Amino acid sequence: MAETSSLTFRPAPAGLADTVATVVVWLIALIVTAVFVWILGDIIWHGIGQISWSFLTEPPRNAGREGGIGPIIVSTLLILGVCIAVAMPLGVGTAILLAEFTSSDNLFGRLVRRSLDVLAGVPSIVFGLFGNAFFCVYLGMGFSILSGGLTLACMTLPILIRSTEEGFRSVPNEYRMGAAALGMSRTSALIHLLLPAAAPGLLVGMVLGMGRSIAETAALIFTSGYVDRMPQSLHDSGRSLSIHIFDLSMNVAGGDANAYASALVLIVILLIVNSIASWTSDRWLHKRIISL
Amino acid sequence: MKKTPAFITCSSLLIMAVLGACSKSDNSGNKLVITGSSTVAPLAVEIGKRFESLHPGIRVNVQTGGSSRGIADARSGLADIGMASRSLKDSENDLHAFTIAHDGICIILHQANIVNALSDEQVVAIYKGTIKNWKEVGGPDAPITVVNKSEGRATLDLFLHYFKIKNTDIHPDVVIGDNEQGIKTVAGNPDAIGYVSIGTAEYDATHDIPIKLLPVNAVPATLENVGNGSFPLSRPLNLVTKAVPTGLAKEFIDFARSKQVHDLVKEQYFVPLSK
Repeated sequence: MAETSSLTFRPAPAGLADTVATVVVWLIALIVTAVFVWILGDIIWHGIGQISWSFLTEPPRNAGREGGIGPIIVSTLLILGVCIAVAMPLGVGTAILLAEFTSSDNLFGRLVRRSLDVLAGVPSIVFGLFGNAFFCVYLGMGFSILSGGLTLACMTLPILIRSTEEGFRSVPNEYRMGAAALGMSRTSALIHLLLPAAAPGLLVGMVLGMGRSIAETAALIFTSGYVDRMPQSLHDSGRSLSIHIFDLSMNVAGGDANAYASALVLIVILLIVNSIASWTSDRWLHKRIISL
Repeated sequence: MKKTPAFITCSSLLIMAVLGACSKSDNSGNKLVITGSSTVAPLAVEIGKRFESLHPGIRVNVQTGGSSRGIADARSGLADIGMASRSLKDSENDLHAFTIAHDGICIILHQANIVNALSDEQVVAIYKGTIKNWKEVGGPDAPITVVNKSEGRATLDLFLHYFKIKNTDIHPDVVIGDNEQGIKTVAGNPDAIGYVSIGTAEYDATHDIPIKLLPVNAVPATLENVGNGSFPLSRPLNLVTKAVPTGLAKEFIDFARSKQVHDLVKEQYFVPLSK
């Protein structure tokens, strides 16, 4: 982490080609930023007026045109919670197996890796249909927050595993040898040394995975469902923010204002969740490697 | 070292909790599951809320996904009641349908389009691709963007049935799902033509969305004309059950057909049952 270089790249006197290249690169960067700022600005501009304490706590009324999004925020967080609680242990476990217990050219490892890459590219509606057939119907969970969270876990696992595995692979081999030389068992080296050192990869996977799941509509509409009541348990169907936004903007005439406000809330939740993730990884895992 | 067991215990507890939860299924004694048409879903949610407030302890869970899904779920038993925004087909005679409201479908164009009416033949020709440019129907010299509904949508079925077109003959430029999506597509493209639920279109047209509703067969597309039966392209919004409804399902269907929900039907821009 602390390998900041004091060397800076000094370009030679610029020719025409260099100037053009510089301008193009800057332009591209500006366009990308402008698109982001435009989207964010548009959402804030249209959405901020609706945001109030009652909007954040009240249930929706009149198909979401009036009222708030209280139950929907709760459902979204519960779905995300189930997703993380299931995906994290499975993901980290698989990543450890791939990175630490199989060599990179091991046949089994290659097979797992290849299938994960294929899974990562599967459209989310396919996960939705799978989740509906497997969790809702076959396991009898019905439309529930649990089904939705588990479906999302399946969907985020590939990203989480691959990026955590990269995290483990980027840990220098000297760490492992040093641990072995000190007589640490493989397990304790893994937990006290490698896991914290691989935390940045895990964090990237978490952030990407959570971003993908919190924005997910297609996978959730057939699993966690459409019910906008305050959920009483994980067995209740609960509408996520993304589905609420989709419904308000695509199905309910006159729902645009509240769709914008819900989108703003979704972005804020995403920012908060990401900050918590990076804060935890910084404070908790990173400190442990130093205190060791 | 001390963290090792905690980490592993936590993970295994979580997995066990999830597996344990899997085996437990919902009790369906006081729960009503309704799935199907996205057009009916917001109305069913509102009716369900009022029903819940009158029957404490009862839960009405509404899920969306399209009329075909409503039919399939009602038939398979996954849902107690299906929602379909069309009449039942001959192949669906094994099911029972209960109309709770009416809705019409109209052709919409962008407000800037100078075309104000299209004959049925012209609509068919546009959707079949034999008319490709607006100037052939008295409009500007611009190619027509054909917006069609996706498979399984009741609006599509009704549209195809009325104009007697096969979906395979349509070569759409854009395929859409829900009503508002259709309206937004047309509102964002001056050369587009689409068809959506009248209620939604009427609401949007009076709320500064740049679309206009074309008459069908010279009958203006209004909810009023749907209500009095003169508008040709109208459809019933149905609740569908596999067997003759009993108990809770019957209570809900009777409630949804009663006068007590007329205000909710109007709030969702549909036409309540006349009697």
